[in-house]
Amino acid sequence: MAKNSSLAAEGLTSGAVLWKTFLASTVVLALGLIVLLQATAQGNAFTTETLRRTEVANTPSLVPELSVYDADGNQSTLRQLLADGDKVWIVDFVYTRCQTICTTLGTVFQQLQHQIQLRRLDDKLGLLSVSFDPAHDTPDALGIYRDRMRMDPAIWRIVTLSSPLDRRQLLDAFGIIVITAPLGEFEHNAALHLVGGAGRLFRIVDYDDATVALDIALATAP
Amino acid sequence: MRRQGFPPFALWIGLTLCLVGSALSIPPGRSLIEQSMAWHMVIQMPILFASGWFLMGGVWDFSKTSPGSWNQFGLTGFIAAQFIITYWMLPISIDRAVVMPQVDVLKVLSLIASGALIQTSVSRSPAVLQLFFVGYIVSMLISTGVYLATTERRLCNAYSLESQLSAGYGVVGIGVALACAWAYRINRLKPKTEDRTEGF
Repeated sequence: MAKNSSLAAEGLTSGAVLWKTFLASTVVLALGLIVLLQATAQGNAFTTETLRRTEVANTPSLVPELSVYDADGNQSTLRQLLADGDKVWIVDFVYTRCQTICTTLGTVFQQLQHQIQLRRLDDKLGLLSVSFDPAHDTPDALGIYRDRMRMDPAIWRIVTLSSPLDRRQLLDAFGIIVITAPLGEFEHNAALHLVGGAGRLFRIVDYDDATVALDIALATAP
Repeated sequence: MRRQGFPPFALWIGLTLCLVGSALSIPPGRSLIEQSMAWHMVIQMPILFASGWFLMGGVWDFSKTSPGSWNQFGLTGFIAAQFIITYWMLPISIDRAVVMPQVDVLKVLSLIASGALIQTSVSRSPAVLQLFFVGYIVSMLISTGVYLATTERRLCNAYSLESQLSAGYGVVGIGVALACAWAYRINRLKPKTEDRTEGF
């Protein structure tokens, strides 16, 4: 009995006590909601991938000025390549030994290349594959990949970093996270990156939505 | 004075779990949570939560002395803990904890706090209110786990799809284990709980 009455005294007797809890709960609720909204870009992004895409769509960013070479060993910088002319570029990230996601990306790029050839869009659109594995992807390896993919050099190019030290900067600029997987493979977030207007990354589209990427690129191209 | 129902060595269990959980955020233990989503979500996070629970239960019976008027029926504590747990269920938060060490420190501290908060709140609240909050957390764990285990979309950029699948099954397991632990506790402390409910 004594226990009951003390609990009642502690717990339920007065509204004056309850309002404190009400106030504290409301403050915690408000703070919790603010933190959750802040962490998820106002409830729009529950994954890092969605956040990356939302941020790029809201604030396009210049691609970094990193030195790259192509399958013929020609040096230039990534920004120079992508700021060339008025073209809009669709960029993907690969490594040529890849047996998994990059193979799918390769097929998507082949289909895009076919569309560009068919609709004669090669003065408006370009395709660029960037290898993030410069240690293995020598010009020769890039050349083999180019032949395997039947790249049309007027439309589709492949490059890799001149210096492996730039890898971090490249991946950070595009929001790519590469993790090592068994059998010397890598796992990475794959998508189609749209770059236009003097080398500005302005949209990231799922690789399943190649048609959407093509439409956006065309709508943006001058 | 320990909380009722806590063994005398609860504090030591809490400290041990705290050390083990924190060690998984520091090299070389860190490589485990960096490589496996299951080690991160199914092993480290519950260990941190449990360490908070045992530390709080083992240190002092706060229900007698703490500012209970700010936490009547454990309401404030439950809400705060629920936000913390929800936050660390988000794939975006899990990625951040892997990539950014400062976020990982926040994760360790907040999950320990969530265990401590739930401990305090459970001891103040009637069974029906516990059922509401514990039920919510359990259903969130199970639905998140099922989604992780069944979706073909890779949700965390820091982990492989394979790792995500095994983590999913583990999270479902944690949900079920939590539900069982709560049911067991309610049953074991029945007389006390009934006393409390009568007080209303």
